[in-house]
Amino acid sequence: MNDLPHLSNIFDRLKRGCHLGPDDEPELFSALHERYQEYAAYFAALGLTLVRHEREFFYFEPDNPETVADTLPRIAVFSYIMVDHAANQGRPIEEFIFGQNFLLTALPHFTLDRYAALLRQVEMHDMNDVATLLNHMERIGWVRRVGEDEFRFLRPFYRVFSKCLEIAQAAQAAPPPAGSSVET
Amino acid sequence: MKINPQSFFNFCANHASLLRGLAEREGEISEAEAMRLIRACPGTAEELAETAWRRLRELQILVPTEPGGDMYFMAEPVARLLTYLFNEANPATPEMIGGYVQSLETTGKRLARALDEEDMGQVKLAFEEISLTLRRIYADLNETQQAILTEVARYKTERSRVSVRDKYRRIVHWMERYVEPMIEIVRADGPLRAAFEESERLLQRAREEALFNDYPALARNLRFLRLVGAHALRVFTQCRKEIQPLYESLRRSSFIAEGAARALEKLQAEGAARWGREFLIGVAAWRYQNVPGDAAISLALRRVIEHPPEAPPVLEFGAEMENPRALARLMWLEDLPNAARGELPLEDLIGWLVAKYPERDTSDVLAGFSALVFHGEFKADFTAQPPRAYDVRDGEIKASPLTLAAP
Repeated sequence: MNDLPHLSNIFDRLKRGCHLGPDDEPELFSALHERYQEYAAYFAALGLTLVRHEREFFYFEPDNPETVADTLPRIAVFSYIMVDHAANQGRPIEEFIFGQNFLLTALPHFTLDRYAALLRQVEMHDMNDVATLLNHMERIGWVRRVGEDEFRFLRPFYRVFSKCLEIAQAAQAAPPPAGSSVET
Repeated sequence: MKINPQSFFNFCANHASLLRGLAEREGEISEAEAMRLIRACPGTAEELAETAWRRLRELQILVPTEPGGDMYFMAEPVARLLTYLFNEANPATPEMIGGYVQSLETTGKRLARALDEEDMGQVKLAFEEISLTLRRIYADLNETQQAILTEVARYKTERSRVSVRDKYRRIVHWMERYVEPMIEIVRADGPLRAAFEESERLLQRAREEALFNDYPALARNLRFLRLVGAHALRVFTQCRKEIQPLYESLRRSSFIAEGAARALEKLQAEGAARWGREFLIGVAAWRYQNVPGDAAISLALRRVIEHPPEAPPVLEFGAEMENPRALARLMWLEDLPNAARGELPLEDLIGWLVAKYPERDTSDVLAGFSALVFHGEFKADFTAQPPRAYDVRDGEIKASPLTLAAP
């Protein structure tokens, strides 16, 4: 067990919320990819769950703390707006998100009053706040800067899509609200 | 009303773009909308829009939806002609193919009866009907395939800003309206194949019983039956293969979009404070608590190493032999109310303090004075007597006498 390569480095990255995918830290990713079961067993003994996402990236399952860090709602709102914007473009969303680089100045987040109002709810008021958030997302391996003003989404952004699917499925499984009419 | 073909085709030749515009427009059209379209698609000849509008009606290209009505639609024969000319395909509905199957079944029954009765005239008629139905099925299948492939290509290349969910709804419509029900009809154990097999059996019987003498035509029809059967299945299997990945992709995208929209809608409706955790995407953040990090340990070690040498402090054990002065003062102040309580009422509080504790300095006297004046058990009253001078150990206090009594 102790011969697991890059163990310290991997643990150090994962415990800080980093997601390890093939685009980022290929050595660490390769080690996890090849010996996932061994790493998972090692971390399980420490009470940590190593998740292997179906799209092939790794992260520690988050615990459920009483207080939620400010960044989580910000990441969620930023990402949902990105998905909403992609859906309006008429192209498959994953192709739109992963198929191009994005300019910070061309992001849709402050182009609509509705988006701006949603962002204000999580204390994001201008593009500087978005840039700060992107820095955080880069630290956890969700985006990568490819220039001063340009970035692209990395594979761990699939977690947003998984969450969206989860929400949609939950909504479909939920009974219709009382008083709603049923079409026959 | 008879229409002059030359006038009709001359008008069509001069107004090809207008006709295309009308053909692409589905449903009814009002005069105002038609006039807008005429102005947007001017003909090659110089004419007023009103003239073109009048000619559209005279040539019965547009006909009113009801007698005297002000809404119009494109006449069915013209629509078919334009579809043919513009090489546009209309998909056959499952009901249409189902109708052909029923037609084949009915014709098959007539053919069987004619064979039983050895009625060669009826056999010939039934044979021709089967041939016609087969040709229609074949043509409709081809047109449906073309329509579906055109639609798929349009989805792949269309860059117009139609939302993913709208696209998904449309592709679902194609899947549910055309492809899936059609496959049910044309599959190997479906009703189309059953009707074909029955028709083939009857045609074979007609040949065996020599009730139909046109053997080449009979053989042609038998071949065509097998061809159409196999072709139908291939066409719709191909269509499903074309449309399925698009369907899956759009279905997934549509659900993703729906999830994001629901999350944002909830935030908009209920605010961040009530936005549940179910909408957040958790990220691990394990932090050590009460454990110094490597950096802190390094810093502590560096401070120890770099600290300049200095002699250890010398402890004076003798100093502990007598009570600390501050403590003694505190204890005196705390005991002062007890001392005063036994001598109440006091006519002159400061005078009492100075007389009773002559060793106390000004600070102590005033501290004792304050402690007694503000003590909850005593009542202090200023008197109107003239100020007096009180001698204390380190100076003099000048004040009017103050009485202290029990409340």
